[in-house]
Amino acid sequence: MLTRSLTIGIVCPYGWDTPGGVQNHVRDLAEYLIAAGHKVSVLAPVIDETKIPAYVTSAGKPIAIPYNGAVARVLFGPIAFARVRQWIAQGDFDILHLHEPAIPSISLLACWAAEGPMVGTFHAAAKRQKAIFAIGPILEPVIEKLSARIAVSEAARATLTEHLETDAVVIPNGIYADRYRDGTPQEKWQGNTLGFIGRFEEPRKGLSVLVDALPIISRFAPDVRVFIAGPGDPDEVIKTIDPQLRSRFTFLGKISEQDKANFLASISLYIAPNTGGESFGIILAEALAGGATVVASDIPAFDSLLNHGQYGEIFESESSTDLAKRVIDLLRDENRRVELGKVGKAHAQQFDWKVVADQIFSIYEMSLVSGEKVHLTSENRSWSKFLGRESKGDE
Amino acid sequence: MKTSIFVIILLLVFIWYLSFSATRLDRLHHRVETSWANLDSLLQKRAAVALEIARSEIADPASAMLLTAAAYQAREAIIEKRSAAESGLSGALGLLLADGQSSARPAEVVLLRELSELTDKIRIAIALHVDAVTRTQLVRKKFIFRTFRLAGTAPLPVTYEFESDVL
Repeated sequence: MLTRSLTIGIVCPYGWDTPGGVQNHVRDLAEYLIAAGHKVSVLAPVIDETKIPAYVTSAGKPIAIPYNGAVARVLFGPIAFARVRQWIAQGDFDILHLHEPAIPSISLLACWAAEGPMVGTFHAAAKRQKAIFAIGPILEPVIEKLSARIAVSEAARATLTEHLETDAVVIPNGIYADRYRDGTPQEKWQGNTLGFIGRFEEPRKGLSVLVDALPIISRFAPDVRVFIAGPGDPDEVIKTIDPQLRSRFTFLGKISEQDKANFLASISLYIAPNTGGESFGIILAEALAGGATVVASDIPAFDSLLNHGQYGEIFESESSTDLAKRVIDLLRDENRRVELGKVGKAHAQQFDWKVVADQIFSIYEMSLVSGEKVHLTSENRSWSKFLGRESKGDE
Repeated sequence: MKTSIFVIILLLVFIWYLSFSATRLDRLHHRVETSWANLDSLLQKRAAVALEIARSEIADPASAMLLTAAAYQAREAIIEKRSAAESGLSGALGLLLADGQSSARPAEVVLLRELSELTDKIRIAIALHVDAVTRTQLVRKKFIFRTFRLAGTAPLPVTYEFESDVL
């Protein structure tokens, strides 16, 4: 469906060189669109400008602020705004794709400064915030400029409807499903094994729930072992584990994509005990694509991704007894475990970039019907007459 | 003296706000037009595909007749009757496809695939249009927009009552 070659501007609100779901999504999308023959420019806050790919333009150094229970690396202020306007004016874009335009960062600034075909993607799923009553009137006129809104999950869509009274089309995050499709099972990871991938030091990833569940699990499955992959210092976690069970845990550190595929193909169960802060669950989609049978907490994002338990087992979030029960049931019922892995793998194919990028592109096409190009708003044109020289001085 | 400057500044800010609001509303009307143009073109395409299906081997003579009639009605309906006509076409297509026509011939497979892709797009286009319309209606209800008649003579947009479950 990718027929016409477009000039696409994508804005990433968070620091490009810090790890995060939105950044990964923007990078994969940009690279996919470039491979499909489009001209793509990404504007993002960047810490180290020497280490960015050619398609990324730096908007300046990000500022770390606490937001939504975590530290967000965002960027705003007059200099950033001048850069955003300059990028839009020089980019000659057919369409702008703004990520998280409701976060105080450059996506919002771009949405304010530009006019023409614009698409916004909303990633975050948050509980209703009181502050929204104050922020709403400021955001509304800006957000309504978007010709189409995309939410990455039903949870993100609900957040948007609740906060800004506007609807969105749900298009899931993309994964490269074929990278995980053909992992070779490795003997060292097979047997009664549980797998976990992620930055395990972060409390919201929920590793402690799994650690607490292990005493019960090991009573029924004495040979159970747990493999944990992901960056971080395991010492802190090991301290919290019952000394008798420490030998069951293996920390693998950060693993390569190929190892990840093999890992997912080998383990009996993939455990996702996240306690919140997740809006889509990219790792869960990858685990499914790798053919692992998944046991996940019932946070909204996972619940909708697994369709209430159809494509993976769901346990009550933060309840290690419920987790233990589900794990034991599945370890005992080999047929059901294998069957669940199979339907999960088939389900995960719809998250493949081939499918997802096509859906995003058809949204682009719908926004392009007006035949306009992206340009600065008239308000900003008169502004830049006054500020034009100043902002050039900044560069 | 001080108060008069204050009043002038306040007045200027207010005028700026009015012009800002007017631009905002104008943009919304533009969005409604764009999303409608998009939906309209997709619906036209669907009618064309429906006609092709009616002429192909998938349809028996009776359904072909029904489908052709529905497609022409949808194409030629005036705006007020458009929703009803398009729903009729959806119904006719639904009847035909629900029969489980599993045609193996490549030409027809292509047609059916085209139809299902169009249906997906139309579903999204409806959502976009409905969102644009409700947002415009919402904004036009606000006090400042009514009092200063910022909408001018533009007619109040109405939602396209296409029931998505018929699709």
